[in-house]
Amino acid sequence: MTPATLQLVSSVPSTSDQLVEPAGAGLDEESREWLRSLQAEGAAREDAVARLHALLLRAASFEVARRKPSLPHLRGDDLDEIANQAADDALVSVLRRLGDFRGLSRFTTWAYKFALLEAAVKLRTRDWQGREVPLEPESWNEVSSAGLEPDEELEQRELLAAVQRAVDEVLTPHQRTVLVALALNGVPIDVLAERLGATRGALYKTLHDARRKLRDHLEEEH
Amino acid sequence: MERPDLKRVLGSLLGPAEPEVGCDECFDQLDRYVELELAGADADAAIPGLRAHLAGCPACREEHESLRALVGGELS
Repeated sequence: MTPATLQLVSSVPSTSDQLVEPAGAGLDEESREWLRSLQAEGAAREDAVARLHALLLRAASFEVARRKPSLPHLRGDDLDEIANQAADDALVSVLRRLGDFRGLSRFTTWAYKFALLEAAVKLRTRDWQGREVPLEPESWNEVSSAGLEPDEELEQRELLAAVQRAVDEVLTPHQRTVLVALALNGVPIDVLAERLGATRGALYKTLHDARRKLRDHLEEEH
Repeated sequence: MERPDLKRVLGSLLGPAEPEVGCDECFDQLDRYVELELAGADADAAIPGLRAHLAGCPACREEHESLRALVGGELS
């Protein structure tokens, strides 16, 4: 844990007024113990926070190891650093959102997802560091139809051409930018969110609305 | 760079047709969804719209696969 994280962790209140006992009637004893110890004071809480950090580091390292084969340009040191940063950031998130835990899963499963998210976002961001994010629809003609039967290829090519026309005709400029970057050019949503100063949730909403417009337009045409 | 596949690109451009949750709701429900899946329960009936979101959002799909692999590995 970095000193900055330690400072952040100590600033997250551990008093019981922030937290509630989860409503899930079937909460297992291990999860109850995690909640009790993380809401405790003094050494008991410090010990629980250290155990939680170790748990989150294990999850972040798991994610890094899973993605390592697709990131050959990242060195072992970089990957270790990403796992550690992800565990630190996840620790702060878990402690801040402890009151959101409803006991609908085991506490460890709930906590893991924060570490996996942090690691995944950091890996995607690092992978695209220094790379230009393609926002223009240059890839329309670069789509491969290898492996398709001629009839199927013709049908799919016609559909792609219809989608391309619909993108120009019915989407707003922002919807077009988001759809082209995410769905055509394969830019990861976190990377685009960072470049555009948006949130992942807001970008996905834009993507969702753009896709629905396209589907509605294609249905009207036929 | 590998050329994108035609069918995959069309799927990605048009997205899932059925109702779906957003990324924030997906994150909130992901732990429960994975545990239901691993228990052999009907996770899709319990949390409607999450499966469709995973089909339409590569980032959430990756995180779902990772959580399922991590928790599933612990339980096995």
